[in-house]
Amino acid sequence: MAELLAVDELRAGYGKAVVLSGVSLSLAPGEALAVLGRNGMGKTTLINAIVGVTQRFGGRIRLDGRDITALRPDQRARAGIGWVPQERNIFRSLTVEENLTAVARDGPWSLAKIYDLFPRLAERRQNFGGQLSGGEQQMLAVGRGLIVNPRVLLLDEPLEGLAPIVVDELMRALRRVIRDEGMAAILVEQNARKVLSVTDRALILERGSVVHAGDSAALRANREVLEAHVSVAQARPERARQPAVSN
Amino acid sequence: MLTILFDGIAYGMVLFMLACGLSVTLGLMNLVNLAHGAFAMAGGYCAVVLVNRLGVPFLAALPLAFLASALIGLAFERTLYRHVHRKSHLDQVLFTIGLVFMAVVAVDYVAGSSQVFVQLPDYLQGRFTLLGVGIGRYRLLIIVLCGVIAVALQLVLMRSRFGSRLRAAVDDARVAQGLGINVGGLFAATFAVGSGLAGLGGALGAEILGLDPSFPLKYMVYFLVVVTVGGTSSITGPFLASLILGISDVAGKYYLPDLGAFVIYTIMIAVLIWRPQGLFARAAAR
Repeated sequence: MAELLAVDELRAGYGKAVVLSGVSLSLAPGEALAVLGRNGMGKTTLINAIVGVTQRFGGRIRLDGRDITALRPDQRARAGIGWVPQERNIFRSLTVEENLTAVARDGPWSLAKIYDLFPRLAERRQNFGGQLSGGEQQMLAVGRGLIVNPRVLLLDEPLEGLAPIVVDELMRALRRVIRDEGMAAILVEQNARKVLSVTDRALILERGSVVHAGDSAALRANREVLEAHVSVAQARPERARQPAVSN
Repeated sequence: MLTILFDGIAYGMVLFMLACGLSVTLGLMNLVNLAHGAFAMAGGYCAVVLVNRLGVPFLAALPLAFLASALIGLAFERTLYRHVHRKSHLDQVLFTIGLVFMAVVAVDYVAGSSQVFVQLPDYLQGRFTLLGVGIGRYRLLIIVLCGVIAVALQLVLMRSRFGSRLRAAVDDARVAQGLGINVGGLFAATFAVGSGLAGLGGALGAEILGLDPSFPLKYMVYFLVVVTVGGTSSITGPFLASLILGISDVAGKYYLPDLGAFVIYTIMIAVLIWRPQGLFARAAAR
């Protein structure tokens, strides 16, 4: 299969601090990759570096064979990178519908299809972003990433801080997007068990480097590796945030 | 009494034209542009030259003043301002105050230091009395024109896709850019329109505010009060702040001439004690 996204020896961070020290990965069309690892191991930095909102120190990123390393974040988005940021970052002074239409681009993911995926958003279409619950904000963030009609969707801890029932609802939607619609995706998570069931492959980051890469199903069965590098406990303590990035 | 209110509203409307661009660019890029008044002055002098020297009809000179200031603003943004977007506020202040001084002496050199006026056509001069209120024709024109523009701006901001993209970028520039919005281009367009509106305000306000080379310095405080009191997250905030400022300044100078400008500072201090984030603060700090 042809390569859709190829990240080659990417070194990136914030300001002068290097967080990622040479990460490589590749993604085929329709393939889903889980990126696992504990706090502060560089998962969010990897996503942000592909989106283009970090400081890059080296390495290359190709999308569909095209080198997008030198492109600005908005140009990368138009080239086909879809982003669901970690903090959701819903535009507060826009309504739910405006959050979607402001960034919408032509393609199969239309407003109607997003509302079909998340009926709750249709009910809340006239509410402002700041008035939504955490789960609704996450649905909107996913919908907003989809309506850009990307070639690959990057989801940064989409399940974090959500009630179990909302997690299930979101996982159903993500399974539909990834498995039924064939959207290529990178899913960053701490909760390995949840995401390994929808992804094809997985890699584990530790201190900015890849320490394990392989099949999702095989990793799921491999307790040893999981326990060594990933938090497998059900109850997760309140986690520290990634370093804040100034505009 | 009502005449003072009327004059105050006209004055406030001009202030809104002058300052609304500043509040949007400040909110969008966190760019402190103290030279905003220089673009307003450019529009004012443009109108003076067009009307007094070239005999262009006054109403035709207004859109031309808008266009001239917008183009100057765009040129400065693309060549100079873009380099200070990511600099500290101190750098931005030093850079833009430098531009102000350059604009002041440049205009002084070319046009002289004396105050200039735009020759108003006869049909805009004088006042008439309506229900006991003395209404200046020119001030009525200002109120109607600026009122229409304010409504149009609000509609564009709240109803159009351009408006929603602009608000998204003001909310969170980093994420907006990551989702495909060209924040730099959006900023340049907004900067140009804001400068153009300032130029229009300068052309309209030359009659009321007076126009001389020190204009950008003299009215800098007014712009900043409007932005501080009105906030930067909407245009209704600066609009109401402009009206409050305009009315209180006119009324203060009429009723309490000894206090002079202290009236507006007193009101500003009172508002900021009551609402430290401005009248229309964002729902929560980022």
